[in-house]
Amino acid sequence: MRYDLTRLPLLKPLLRSRWPQLLFQIMALGGFVFAILAGLVGTPVGNHNFSIVFVWIAWWALLMLIAVPLFGRGWCSICPIPVPGEWLQRGAVLKPSGRGPSAGSGRGLSWGRRWPNRLRNLWLQNGAFALVALFSAVVLTQPRVTGIMLAAFLFIAVGTSLIFERRAFCRYLCPVGGFIGLYSQLAPVEVRVKDPALCVTHTPKTCYLGSDDGYGCPWQVFPGRLMKNTYCGMCGECLRTCPYDNVTVNLRPFGADLQHPTGRRLDEAFKAFILLGSVLAYSAVMLGPWGALKSAAYAVGTAAWLGYALTFLILIFGLLPGLFWIAVRAGRVFARSNTPTRQTFIAFAYALIPLGLAAWIAFSLAFVFANLSYLWPALSDPFGWGWNLFGTASMAWTPYLTRVIPALQTLALLGGLMWASATAHQIAGEQSPSVGHASGLSQSLPVILFCLLVTLALLGLLVG
Amino acid sequence: MRNILLKDAPQTRAISPTLATRRTSLIWLALAALTIAFLPAPASVAAPTDRHIHLEASRFAYAPAVIAVSPGDRVTIEFKAADVVHGLYLDGYSLNLTAEPGQTARLTFVADRPGTFRFRCSVTCGPLHPFMIGKLSVGPNWLLYRAIGLSLLSVIAGLLLIKRPAPRDTL
Amino acid sequence: MTAKSAERAARLLVIGLVAGLALAVFAGRWVVETRHGASLLHARIAEAGGWTPGDLSATVGKPLHLRLTSDDVMHGFAVGQTDWPAVDVLPGKATDVTLTFDRPGTYTFYCTRWCGLNHWRMRGTIEVRGPVEDRLQTAAELATTTPPSYVTLGLDIDAPHLAAVIPARKPSAARAANLGVTMPAAYLTRDDYRAHSPAKIWQSLRTEMPGKWTDAEVWDLVAFVWQSNTSPEALAEGKALYASNCAACHGETGAGDGVMAAALGQQSHAETGGDTKAPVAFTDATSMLGASPALLQGKIIRGGMGTGMPYWGPIFTEAQTWALVDYLWTFQFETEYAP
Repeated sequence: MRYDLTRLPLLKPLLRSRWPQLLFQIMALGGFVFAILAGLVGTPVGNHNFSIVFVWIAWWALLMLIAVPLFGRGWCSICPIPVPGEWLQRGAVLKPSGRGPSAGSGRGLSWGRRWPNRLRNLWLQNGAFALVALFSAVVLTQPRVTGIMLAAFLFIAVGTSLIFERRAFCRYLCPVGGFIGLYSQLAPVEVRVKDPALCVTHTPKTCYLGSDDGYGCPWQVFPGRLMKNTYCGMCGECLRTCPYDNVTVNLRPFGADLQHPTGRRLDEAFKAFILLGSVLAYSAVMLGPWGALKSAAYAVGTAAWLGYALTFLILIFGLLPGLFWIAVRAGRVFARSNTPTRQTFIAFAYALIPLGLAAWIAFSLAFVFANLSYLWPALSDPFGWGWNLFGTASMAWTPYLTRVIPALQTLALLGGLMWASATAHQIAGEQSPSVGHASGLSQSLPVILFCLLVTLALLGLLVG
Repeated sequence: MRNILLKDAPQTRAISPTLATRRTSLIWLALAALTIAFLPAPASVAAPTDRHIHLEASRFAYAPAVIAVSPGDRVTIEFKAADVVHGLYLDGYSLNLTAEPGQTARLTFVADRPGTFRFRCSVTCGPLHPFMIGKLSVGPNWLLYRAIGLSLLSVIAGLLLIKRPAPRDTL
Repeated sequence: MTAKSAERAARLLVIGLVAGLALAVFAGRWVVETRHGASLLHARIAEAGGWTPGDLSATVGKPLHLRLTSDDVMHGFAVGQTDWPAVDVLPGKATDVTLTFDRPGTYTFYCTRWCGLNHWRMRGTIEVRGPVEDRLQTAAELATTTPPSYVTLGLDIDAPHLAAVIPARKPSAARAANLGVTMPAAYLTRDDYRAHSPAKIWQSLRTEMPGKWTDAEVWDLVAFVWQSNTSPEALAEGKALYASNCAACHGETGAGDGVMAAALGQQSHAETGGDTKAPVAFTDATSMLGASPALLQGKIIRGGMGTGMPYWGPIFTEAQTWALVDYLWTFQFETEYAP
C-alpha cells in the first residue's frame, strides 16, 4: 500500500530543485552557528540562553514529536552539521560543476578514503549516544557545554568529510542519526525506486556513482535495493540523478519497515535497548521527584556521579538486554522453537522500536510543554544581554497544557504498547512460521510481558 | 499489512481467529477500554480535613518531594526556601508562590481537583532549576489505575490487530 | 541563471547569512554598549565571585548607568546608606538602574536577595569623586566620624551580658500603661533607654519604685520605657529589615533557628577568618535582657568578627539600625504597636 507523493503537482519540482533544500540548510546552519555562539559567549543561565532553549527544547520537540514520527529521517535532509564539510568535499554548494569524469563525486578537498570495514556499523554511534547521555544533566543545563559540544560535532563532521568519502559522519558517527535511523522505520514516508527491475539493467548506476545532475548517494546506500528507511537520509540526490525518474517518495502505512524480516542486526537491536534504557533513566532522573538522583547525575567526576554512570550503563547494556534475553529464551521454550537464540533475540528487539518511540514522545511531551514558554524571551534576548528584539524579553515562564499532558502521555504509551505487542506477535510468526498460531502467541508472550513491564514503569514514572 | 484471510483448512491445527471473531473481539475491547477510561471514579470516603504542609525547597529538590492529601482538604502550604530564592508552581491548580530564605510564604487552597499533579520551581535557582520537581497526590491516582487497566487491553488489542499469515507449510 | 552564477549566488548566501549572523551578534553588543553607555554588572553567588566588577567609580552629579544581570540565582541590588529602592537582579535577564550621586565618598552596594550562606559578603564599592571644594561628608563617613553609642559609652560589646533576673511572663507595655504610674522623666529619655539594658532599668526601677508594685509589673514598666522610645513606623521598618536581612540566620521567630543556621556551623575558619557561632536567639531572655540597645547596635554595625555575623555599618543608616534594634525587643516585650 504505497502512494507516490510525487504525483502531487508541486512536489517533484520542489524536491528536484536544490534551492528549497539549500535554503532550509542555510537557515538551520545559521541557527546552529548562532546557538554555538550563544552557548560560548551568552549568559550561563541555561533557560535564558538561545543555545539551551532552542536546541534542547525547540529543536528536540520538533524532532521527537513531529520530524521523526512523521518524516523519519526528514531532519537529516536539512541538518546543518554535515553541510559545510560536504560543500568542501564537493567543491560546490549546488550541483556538480559538470567537468571531468568524476563530476558526480565533486572536485573538492576531500581525501576520499573509504570508511573502514570494521566500523561499518552502529556501534560507534551507540557509544556516542551513551556518552552524551552520561553527561546529559550537564549538557542540557550549561550553555557553555552545549556550545562546545555542538562546535565539536561541526569540527568532527568537517574533519570526517575531508578524510572520508560521502557522509561518513552521518552514517557512522552521529549519535542523533543513530536513533533517528532506527525510529525512521516507523515513519509513513519513504524514498524508494518505483521499479527495481529497471535498476538491474541500468549499468552506470548514477544514483550511487553520481552524474552531471547530482552526487552519488552520500549515505552509501544503493537506492535500487533500498528496503528500509534506516540508512537513507532523504537528501534527494538519487531523485536528481536517476535518468529514468525511477526514484520517488512514497506515503505508506506507519511501521512498514518492521514487516521486513531481513537485514536485522545486533547493533540496531542494542540501539533499541540504549534508547529504551535512556528514556527510563531520563524519566526518573529529570522528571522524577528525587533530588539526590539529579544531583548525582549533575556532579560529574564525583563518586555519586560514578555510581549513577555505572548504574546507567548497566541498565542499557546489561539489565535491559539481559531481561529481554530471558524473555526470548522463555518464548523459545514455550514454542519449542529451533531457531538460534541470537537470531530470535535480534528479531524480537525490533518490537521495541515502536515502544521506544512512544516512550520518547511521552517523555518529551512533559519536558517540552513545561518549558516551551522559555522560547519567547530567548527569541528576543538570545544571549541574556538585555536585548529585546521582538518585545517578548520579559514574558514570564509558565508551563503549558499541564492538565492535559498526563492523558496525552498515557495515550502515547498505550499506543506504543499496542504496536509493540502487534509487532512482537508478527515477528513470532516470522521466526517460527511452521508453528501454529497458539504457539506463536506463546513465543511472543514473554517479550510482550517485557514491553508491558516497561510501559508500566514509564507510566509510574511519568503519570504516577 | 499482508491481507491473507485465514480459512478453516483441516490441515491447520492452529485455532486462528476468523475475521468475524476478530471484529467482535475488537468491539468488546473498545467497549471495555471506554469503560475503564471514562467510568467515574468512586467518591472519596475520607472527610475533608485541614492539612498543614511544611515544604522546604533547596537546590534542587523539595522536602517532602511527594505529598498526599485527600480530595476536598483545605491545604495550607508553608513554603520555606533553604538556600536561595525558590518558587512553587502547582500544575493543575496554577498556583504560584515564591519564598526567600528567612521569609516563609503561605498559601491556602482547597484541593477540589483530584489527581496527581507535579509542582515545579518557578524562580531560576541554578542549572538544574527546570528539573526541580515534586508531586502532589489529591486522592488516589485514578489516571494511573485506568492506564494500567488500559495497558492490558492494549496488549490484547495489539495481538488482535495483527493478521497472522497462514502457516507456510499448510498452503 | 547559469549554473556558475547560481553557484556563486548560493555561496554568497551561505557566507552572508552565516557569517553575517555571527557578526551581527557582536556588532549588536557593541552598539548597545556604546549607545547605552552601560556594560553588564554580573551578579554571582559569593562563592562564585560575587559582583563582577566589584569596584565601580562615578562622579558627583553624573548619572551612573548600570545594567545588572545574574549568572546563577536571583539576586538584588541596593546601595547602602541611600534611600534608593532595591531592584531584583534576575538570572539571564538584564535590569537597568541609573544612580546619580550628590556627595562624593565610598558607597557600598550589596545583594538584597538571599543567595546562599555567604549572601552578606556579596558587596562591592562605588568610589564617587566630586569637586573637592564642595566636599561634604557622606552619610557613610558621618557614621564613622561620629562614633556609635557603644564607643562613646565605652561598652565592650563582646563581653557576656547576662541578666541577673528575668521576668516570669512576657512584659507588656500595654499593661504598664494601665498601671497609672508616673515614670521618672529620666528613664524615658532616648539616651537613657539606649545606654541601659532592660535588666539594669528593672534593677533601678525596683529600687526606686514603692514596694506595692510586683516584680512583674516593674518589668511591664521596663517594656513601657522601650515602647515610648519607639514608634509603630520604626517597628514596621525594623520588622521589614529583620525579615530580609536577619531572619534567614536568626529565624523568623527569633529563636536562632533560621534556615542558614545549621550551615553556619559548618563553615571553616579559613573561610570566615574566625570561629563561627550559632546565631543568637533573640527569644533568650537571659542574654537579651542583659544587653543594652547600644550594645545591640554595636553588634549590628561592627559585626561578629568571624563568627558569621555580618557587619552592617556601611549598609544601614543610623535610623535604620535603631529601628532594627527597637524591633528586636518585640521578641521579649509585648506592645500595642504590634508590627
